[in-house]
Amino acid sequence: MKFFYSKKEEFEKIYDGYVGKIYRFIFVKVSSQEIAEDLTSEVFLRGWKSFQEKKEIENPSAFLYQIARNLIVDHYREKGKTRLVSVEFLEIVDPDDLEKKALLSSDLKEIQAGISKLNDNYQNVIIWHYLDELSIKEISGILDKSEGTIRVMLHRALKSLKKELNTN
Amino acid sequence: MAEKDLINKIKELKNIKPKEDWVFLTKNRIFSEEQQFSLSPFESFKQLFNLKPAFVISSLINVGLVGLTFVFSVQSSLPGDLLYSVKKIGEDAQLSLSSETEKPGAYLELANKRLEDLDKIAKINKIENLVPTIREFQNSISKAVEDLNRIEDDSYIIMEIVSQTKKLEESKQRIEALGIVIGETKELDNALAQLIERELEGLENQILTEEQEESLVQVKEDYQAGLYYQALEGILFLGQ
Repeated sequence: MKFFYSKKEEFEKIYDGYVGKIYRFIFVKVSSQEIAEDLTSEVFLRGWKSFQEKKEIENPSAFLYQIARNLIVDHYREKGKTRLVSVEFLEIVDPDDLEKKALLSSDLKEIQAGISKLNDNYQNVIIWHYLDELSIKEISGILDKSEGTIRVMLHRALKSLKKELNTN
Repeated sequence: MAEKDLINKIKELKNIKPKEDWVFLTKNRIFSEEQQFSLSPFESFKQLFNLKPAFVISSLINVGLVGLTFVFSVQSSLPGDLLYSVKKIGEDAQLSLSSETEKPGAYLELANKRLEDLDKIAKINKIENLVPTIREFQNSISKAVEDLNRIEDDSYIIMEIVSQTKKLEESKQRIEALGIVIGETKELDNALAQLIERELEGLENQILTEEQEESLVQVKEDYQAGLYYQALEGILFLGQ
């Protein structure tokens, strides 16, 4: 008799380990909590289905990020959206706490908005290297490019981001 | 900006995290959508009794605790939260039990609940829930207005509408004093005005005492001044 319990436990560990990263990866690109939640859950739903069909997945990180990237492309293709930061929040004058919070998060929003305007590969290398702390080697495995290419890409990504932020 | 500073700023984005309740519910949803067991039903049943009693009891307790936590989380959820959709199903179910004449009061009660939610949002600084809550508030007002135009002369129903409208007015002023703009409720005011006009038409044909005539004058003055819930209160008094 064949059991799927161990597969489920295995994928649960993958879920627990990557849900935050995949969510953040998508959120930085789409700038919307609702869309990030929808797409992230779809990533893991598809991931779980694939996981059950295959014997094992060598690189869960690459596997999940690939699904996420495909879903983001599909999302923009279907919705016809451009990459804009969605400004949904009303301006709050009082109380003080809300005002302080707005000032703090506006700083982060500027960086996130800047990243979301870069090309896809630049966004990816920045997120993977600085937020997910993936090594150059790991990123080269995901993108199937040489480590040298990844280093150059990272350097150019930072330069583009700096230019983007200075423009604003 | 120096590269080092830029990198430090980028790293602050590590604070972007999904909500814990969403993570929990999504996990459950993913695994409940694809449940594949190649065990026969007999084997599954037998497996259950292979578990030690202590494990079963502690599992049941855990399930109970998770259940209670879930119920509490649903009740305290705000528009925009994942669990709010579960709360909304409950609220909609209660609404479906109301008669057509009770619905305006029920929708106004929901609008008041959304104003209470806005109070909570201001206290706990959950800015991201502001817009969904205001939308839900406006939605409840629109639904109340649709049904207000259909209600018949019923002092119990009007009493409920007066009570909810008064509470709405007070809450709205309190929320707006915090700097939160929830928009105009002109359509509600118009619907209340029409209700008052219908009631006043009915009263014109009735024989009133001197005291009642004076009250009617006050009702008309309140109506002209746009003080609709006061006018409705006066109409209720006249009906007693």
